Amino acid sequence: MAVQSPSLDDPRVLVDTPAAIVDAIPPYAPRSEREAEFYALGDGQMLLNIGPHHPATHGVLRIVLKIEGERIVDLDPVLGYLHRGVEKLAENADYHHSIAYTDPLEYVSSLFNELAPVMAFERLLDLRVPRRAEYLRVLSCELLRVSSHILFMGFMALDMGGLTPILYSFIERDEMVDMLAALTGQRMLFNYMRIGGVNGDLNHEFLSRLGDWMSRAGRQAEAISTLLNENEIFVKRTRGLGAISRGQALNLGLTGPNLRACGVPFDVRRAHPYSVYPELDFDVVTADEGDTYARYLVRVEEIKQSIRIIDQVLHEMPDGPVMARIPRRITPPPGRAWAAIESPRGQYGCYAMSDGTDQPYRFRIHDPSFVNLQALVPILPGCLIADTMAVNASLDPIMGGVDK
Amino acid sequence: MIPVPGKGIAKGMALTLRRFFEPKVTVQYPEQAPHIAPRHRGRLELLYDEWGALKCETCFQCAMACPIECIDMGGTDTRDRFHVHWGPPEQYAERREEQALRRSGRPVPDPAFRSFDPADTSRLDALLDAEDYDPQRLLPILEGTQEIYGYIPVAAIKHISNATGIWYAEVYGTASFYEHLHLEPPTSHTIGICRCPACSLFGSGTIRTVVEQAAGVALGGTTPDGTLSLEPSDCHGENGGEPWVTFDGIRRAGVTASNAALLVRAATGAREVGGMPAGQA
Amino acid sequence: MNVVPRSAPRIPALWLLLFALGGLGTLVLLVLIVGILSGVIPAIVIWLGGVILANIAIVRFIVAATAILLFTIPTAFVIIFMELKVIAFMNLRIGPNRVGPWGALASVVHGLKVLSKEDFTPTGADPTVFTLAPVATFVGSVMAFMVLPFGPGLFGVDLNVGLLYFFAVGGLGVVGLLMAGWASFNKYSLLGGLRSAAQMVSYEIPLTLSVVGVIMLAGTLSLNGIVQAQSGSFLDWFVVRQPLAFLIFFIAATAEANRTPFDLTEADSEIVAGFATEYSGMRFGFFFFAEYVNVFLLSGLAVVLFFGGWTSPIPWPWPIHFALSPLESLIAILVLLIVVPVVASFLLAIPIWVIRTRLSFARAFAMGMLLFGPLATAAVLIYLVINLDALLGIIWFFAKAYVFVFTFVWMRATLPRVRIDQLMGLAWKWLLPASLVNLFITALAILVVHP
Repeated sequence: MAVQSPSLDDPRVLVDTPAAIVDAIPPYAPRSEREAEFYALGDGQMLLNIGPHHPATHGVLRIVLKIEGERIVDLDPVLGYLHRGVEKLAENADYHHSIAYTDPLEYVSSLFNELAPVMAFERLLDLRVPRRAEYLRVLSCELLRVSSHILFMGFMALDMGGLTPILYSFIERDEMVDMLAALTGQRMLFNYMRIGGVNGDLNHEFLSRLGDWMSRAGRQAEAISTLLNENEIFVKRTRGLGAISRGQALNLGLTGPNLRACGVPFDVRRAHPYSVYPELDFDVVTADEGDTYARYLVRVEEIKQSIRIIDQVLHEMPDGPVMARIPRRITPPPGRAWAAIESPRGQYGCYAMSDGTDQPYRFRIHDPSFVNLQALVPILPGCLIADTMAVNASLDPIMGGVDK
Repeated sequence: MIPVPGKGIAKGMALTLRRFFEPKVTVQYPEQAPHIAPRHRGRLELLYDEWGALKCETCFQCAMACPIECIDMGGTDTRDRFHVHWGPPEQYAERREEQALRRSGRPVPDPAFRSFDPADTSRLDALLDAEDYDPQRLLPILEGTQEIYGYIPVAAIKHISNATGIWYAEVYGTASFYEHLHLEPPTSHTIGICRCPACSLFGSGTIRTVVEQAAGVALGGTTPDGTLSLEPSDCHGENGGEPWVTFDGIRRAGVTASNAALLVRAATGAREVGGMPAGQA
Repeated sequence: MNVVPRSAPRIPALWLLLFALGGLGTLVLLVLIVGILSGVIPAIVIWLGGVILANIAIVRFIVAATAILLFTIPTAFVIIFMELKVIAFMNLRIGPNRVGPWGALASVVHGLKVLSKEDFTPTGADPTVFTLAPVATFVGSVMAFMVLPFGPGLFGVDLNVGLLYFFAVGGLGVVGLLMAGWASFNKYSLLGGLRSAAQMVSYEIPLTLSVVGVIMLAGTLSLNGIVQAQSGSFLDWFVVRQPLAFLIFFIAATAEANRTPFDLTEADSEIVAGFATEYSGMRFGFFFFAEYVNVFLLSGLAVVLFFGGWTSPIPWPWPIHFALSPLESLIAILVLLIVVPVVASFLLAIPIWVIRTRLSFARAFAMGMLLFGPLATAAVLIYLVINLDALLGIIWFFAKAYVFVFTFVWMRATLPRVRIDQLMGLAWKWLLPASLVNLFITALAILVVHP
C-alpha cells in the first residue's frame, strides 16, 4: 500500500498534524458507513466543530457541521461529555440516597428529576402520599416550570444575539430559587421530594415571597415577550425555521412543548394523569406550525397556564401531614415500576426495579432532552450556521439530562 | 390590521429605554447581604458551645448519611491523640499523603499519620475467621482485638472494616462508644484523692479505701504494670459538698464509694473478668 | 519587652522630589541663561519658527494627526464605558461601579488588562499577516478621522473630496478583518472574516448612495462644506429634507460599524468571536479600539451629514461675536484660563488684605483664590462658550454624536442578531432600491425647485 501524505479529507489524518488540530475529523478509521460518509468531504465543503465548549450549545453538546459556505449539508451531534453515570450510582445507593443523585440531571428543573423516581419508588412500595404533599409537589413543580420556561426565553434570545432577555429571565429565576430555597432549603439541587411525601411544609417566609411574586407573576416574561414576540428580526429568523411535521415529530418520539408545537395535544398531565392534576383546571397549549417560533410561543403560553395552576393549588391546598409514615430503611417487594411526569421539556420517566433489598436493582431515567435533541438531525440540513443555535435553543435541551 | 414594519422593534426599544430609568435589582453583595431563608441548608455548619469548644463529636453520622459522599471528615480527635478519617476513597487524606510522598520521593514525617502504621494482622485474621466475619458480632471482635494488641489501632479498624464490610465509621463509632475499648496504647493514669477534713467528711476516706483495694496499691504508690498511680491531691477548700477526686488531673464529680472502682477499671483497661481486676484473677 | 529596631529617620518622599526638581530646575535655568546670552537659543527659535511658518500645512497635519490619534483612546474608553453602563442599566443591572466614580475607570482597567495579557500567535497562523491585521483595521478607522470636522476650523484636512476619502479609507478596515480571518488558521475566524467582507461590500453601496442626495443638496464633497450648507436653524439640517436617506444611512452605518443587529462578523453565539477568535492581548485591543472608534466615526458622520455638524439647532442669539482662527482661539483659551483667575483673585485679595491688615498677604491671596478662583474660571468658561465658535461647535458636535453612540448601544441592548442571508437581502433588495429612489426624487426636486 502506498504511503500517502494525510490530507484534510482523509479521515485517518493524524492528530498532531496542524490540519487535524482545527478539524473535527476523528483520528481513527471510520467505524461505520455513516461515519465514513459523513467525514468524506465533497467539493467546497468543510467541517465545523461546534462545541463541546461553545457559547451557544447549552452546556457540552458538540455538533460537527458539514458546511458548504454558510449552508449546512450534514451534521453529527456528539453526546456524552457530561455523563456521570447517575443511573449506576443510584443502583449502588439505597432508595432515599438515589433521589439525591438524580437532582443534577436536568439542573434547570431539578424537582422534576426527583419527582419521577420518587413516584416510581412509591409505586414499588404501593404507597399513598398525603394530599397536602401532592399539592406541595404540584406547587413547587409548577413554580419551577415557570422558571425553566422563562429561562428558555432568555437563552433563546441569547443564542440569537439578544443580550437583555437573559438578564430579565434571571431576575425572575433568582426570585424563584430564593422562594424555593425558603420552601425546600436549597436554591438549585432541592432534594425536596421524598418517598412518601415532601421534605418540608409550607412556611411563612415561602408564602410571603410567593405572595409577592404572584402579585407580579410573569412580569419579566411579559417584558421578554415585548422584546421578542413581535420583533421583526426575531420573527423573521424563527418563523418557518426548522418546521417539524406532526408525523415526523411522533416518529422521532418528541414530547413536551416541542411535540405540542406540532399540533399534538399530548401532555402527560392530561394523557396519563398523576398526582392531583386531574383536579386542576388548565389548558394544554398547542400550535400548528411546528416551527421554531411555534415552539417558542407554546412555552410562553405555558408560563401563563402554570401560573393558573399555582393559583388554583394555593386556593385548594388541603390540610394534613406532608409525609406518609414510612420506615427509614425501605425494602420494596420485588417488582418493577414506571412513572412518567410532564417536565418542562417533555415526558420525564423513571423505571425502577426492586429485588427486595434496600437498593434499586435497576434504575433508568428517560430524559426528554435526549429524545428532543434527535430532531436536530432531520431539521438542520439546508439551514444556515446561525440556525443551528436558534433550532437548538428552541428544542431546549439540557445537556446534564441528555448525558445523564 | 396591517403590520407596521418596525413596530415590534420600536416596542422593544421603548421597553429598554423605560427600563434604563427603572430602579435596579442588583444586590451589592459584600456590602448588602442577601436574606437567606431560615430553612436554607446550603452551608455545612459546625456548632460551637458557649465556651467556644467544637460540639462535633466526630461521630461520622453526617458523613455516613450523605448520599453523594460530599462530606469528608478527617483530623485528630479532641485530645489530639489519633487520626480519624471518613470519606470517599479519593479524598482520604492519607492516600493523598502517600501519593505526595511517592511523587516527591522523600519521606515527609507527619505525626498525625503514625496511627496508620500497619499492624500485624495475622492474629486479627484468625479472630475474624473465628467470629465468621459477622458484622453483628462487632463488639466481640473489637474486644478480641483489644486482647491482641492491648488497644485498638486504627490499622485494625481499617482491617476489620475491609474484612467484614462494616463502614469504618461504624467500627470507629462502636470502638469509641464503649468505655472499656481503647483506641490508644495503654498509658499511665493518675487518680488523685484529697484527704482534707472537709473531703473526709463527705466520704473521701471510703473512696480511698475502695480505690486502694481495686488498684491493689496504697495511696502514693503505682501498680506493678505502671498503668495507675494513686496520689494525694488537694481541693483547696473548693470541693462543693463532694469528695475531691481527680482523674489524670481533671476533677471528677459524682464519685462515691460505690462507683469509685470504675475509675480504676477505666485506668487499667478491660483486663478484668466479672468485676474482678484481671491481675488478681 | 519588645525592642523594635528603628531605621535611620527617613526623608519624606516629597522633600526628595523637591530637592531633585530644584537641582534639575537650576541646571535647566543655567543652560537657558547661557544659551540666551550666547545667542544660540534665539537663533534656534528663529530658525525653527521660519521652518514652521514655511511648512505650516505639514505642521498642521502632524499636529492634527497626533491629536486625533490621542483622541481615539479616550473616545474608545468612553464608549466602552457607555456600553458597559448603558446596557447594564437597560438590563436592570448596575454595571461597573468599583473602579473610579460610578465605575468610570472600568474601561481603562480593561485597557490595562488587555495590555498586560499574553500576545499569542496560534500554531499554523501566518505570523506576518496575523500581526498586521489589527494594525490595518485600526489605521483604517483612525485615518478616516482626518476629514471629520469637529468644529469650525477644527479638522485635520479639509479635502474637497472629503466624503469620498472618508468612505475609501473607512473601507480599509474590512481588509484588516479579512486578513485576521484568513491568517488565524481557524474556521470561525475565516467565517467571520468572509462574513465581514461580504457585509461591508454590500453595505458600502447603500451607504454611499444614500448620501449622494446630501451631496447634491450641498453641492460639495467636502465635509466642512456640507456642514456649512446646513448652518442656520435645525430646519436647515439635511435630515429634514432627506429623511429616507438618513434611515438608509443609519441602517447601513450600523452594518458598517459591525454593531448589533448586524454584528455577524463577531457573532458570539454563532462563530465564537469571528475574526477575533484567536486574538489576545493588545492585538485584540486594537480590534476593540477600532470597533469603538468606528462607532464614534459613523456617529460623527451621521451628525455631519444630516444633523448640521457643529452648528447649533437654534441660531445663536448673542450679539457679541469674535471670529477667531483655531490657533488664536487656542492661545486665547489658555491665556484666559491661566491669567484671568489669578489676576482676578489677586485683585479681589487686595480688599480683603486692606480690610483685615492682620492677615498676611499670602493668606489673603489664598482666600481670594479659593473664593474667586472658581467664579472667575466659570466666568471665563461661559464667556468662551458664548464667544468662541470652535468651543461651542465642539460641544454641539459631541453632544449630537454621543446621542448616536447612545442609540447604537441602545440597539445593542435591545435587538437580536439578523441572519446572514437576511442581512444580504436587506442590503440588496431593500436598501439599494430605496436609496436609488431617494436619489431620483432628490434630483427631481432639485431640478424643479432650483432649475
